[in-house]
Amino acid sequence: MIATIVEWEAVLDTVLASVVAGVGVTFVFSIAIWGVARFVDYNRGERPVAAGAAGLVAALGLLSTGAVLVVGILVMTGG
Amino acid sequence: MDSDVILFIVVGTALAFDFTNGFHDTANVVATSISTGAARPRVAIAMAALLNFAGAFISISVAATVANDVVNADVITPTIVFAGLIGAIAWNLITWSVGLPSSSSHALIGGVVGSAVAAVGFDAVLAGGLVGKVLIPALVAPVLAFLVAGVSIGLIYRIVGGERPGTVSRGFKYGQVVSGGLLALAHGTNDAQKTMGVITLALIANGNLDAGVDPPFWVIFSAATAIALGTYSGGWRIIKTTGMRIIKMDPAQGFSSQGAGSAVILASTHFGFPLSTTHVINGGIMGAGAAKRLSAVRWGVAGNIVTAWVLTLPAAAAIGALTYGVTKLFGNGALGPVVVSIAALAASAALFMRRAERGAPVAAEGA
Repeated sequence: MIATIVEWEAVLDTVLASVVAGVGVTFVFSIAIWGVARFVDYNRGERPVAAGAAGLVAALGLLSTGAVLVVGILVMTGG
Repeated sequence: MDSDVILFIVVGTALAFDFTNGFHDTANVVATSISTGAARPRVAIAMAALLNFAGAFISISVAATVANDVVNADVITPTIVFAGLIGAIAWNLITWSVGLPSSSSHALIGGVVGSAVAAVGFDAVLAGGLVGKVLIPALVAPVLAFLVAGVSIGLIYRIVGGERPGTVSRGFKYGQVVSGGLLALAHGTNDAQKTMGVITLALIANGNLDAGVDPPFWVIFSAATAIALGTYSGGWRIIKTTGMRIIKMDPAQGFSSQGAGSAVILASTHFGFPLSTTHVINGGIMGAGAAKRLSAVRWGVAGNIVTAWVLTLPAAAAIGALTYGVTKLFGNGALGPVVVSIAALAASAALFMRRAERGAPVAAEGA
């Protein structure tokens, strides 16, 4: 009986959305932090090319984090 | 005339419930940011209040569930809604006074179901909605937050574990400004909507609205204002916070727990599931702690949460049913709700005074 009255599709969508949003944001933000940390280290070690690459990774990570958040809020307000 | 008086009392009681919900929950929403040093208490609380307010406007799916999918609106009267609210408030006060971290959301739904059963019988309850949209999500959501936070913190340590701790900590403290804000937004959207749903249910029961319609703007605005004011007021009396009670966190754990809590609450809200935001936030905090070290989690607190989780629905339902019975002793008019309201106010004031005399913190965990 429970199998028929529970909206399993909505529950599974909730699980999927939570995992993708929660883990996804953490992943891209961690990449951004990693990029910043590497950028600082490479700069201190006077390795400008590596520092530039790490800075680019940090910027992409931050942009991705912002993009995921904006998409998430848009999905919420649209629903 | 009598029904309008009852409706007026119901709206006032619902908004008072919403205020206490915000008051109760400030600790849950801001604790992580404050305990890791990501935000100063004053800033964290003001931001949480503002985002609670904003969050109430971004969805009405949960309000629709509470108004239409838990009890049959056709057989509900404003007095039933009133008795349910009193059941929820009474259970919240009882658990608050003994320090049990109960869920205001479960108490609200339990109270309304209990009073509806007492008034009409089990036919008043929409079992499909209650099980499918309340009980199953209530089981799934805290576990999901636990797992998402656990996986997230594992990922963080894998990616940045070899980097300088100072840079990493600073980075996640900045991140927590956003994740803490999202958590406040998520809390506002799910919890304020429960009050909107209950007021809408009372308006339908009183014949002011047709079944199935969206909450009017004044209902949304007043629920948003009440929860935001409650959050702002509650913050100033926090002494021990949830985050510090369960585990001692670093900023990365704070970020992952807040991110997991926000993701689960926002996704659930989108699908119209009324959750216990307290249980989800605590699930995230425990997940972030357990992934690092199982012994870091104070499992006694976790056990209290489970105890409160099991007891809340039936206990609030029983008090809601009892309240309905007492209300009906005074007939079908407004006298019953008026007398019960006065008694409830007096009991609440006595409890607050007794608690204050003992020197205990006024704010506790809840909702």
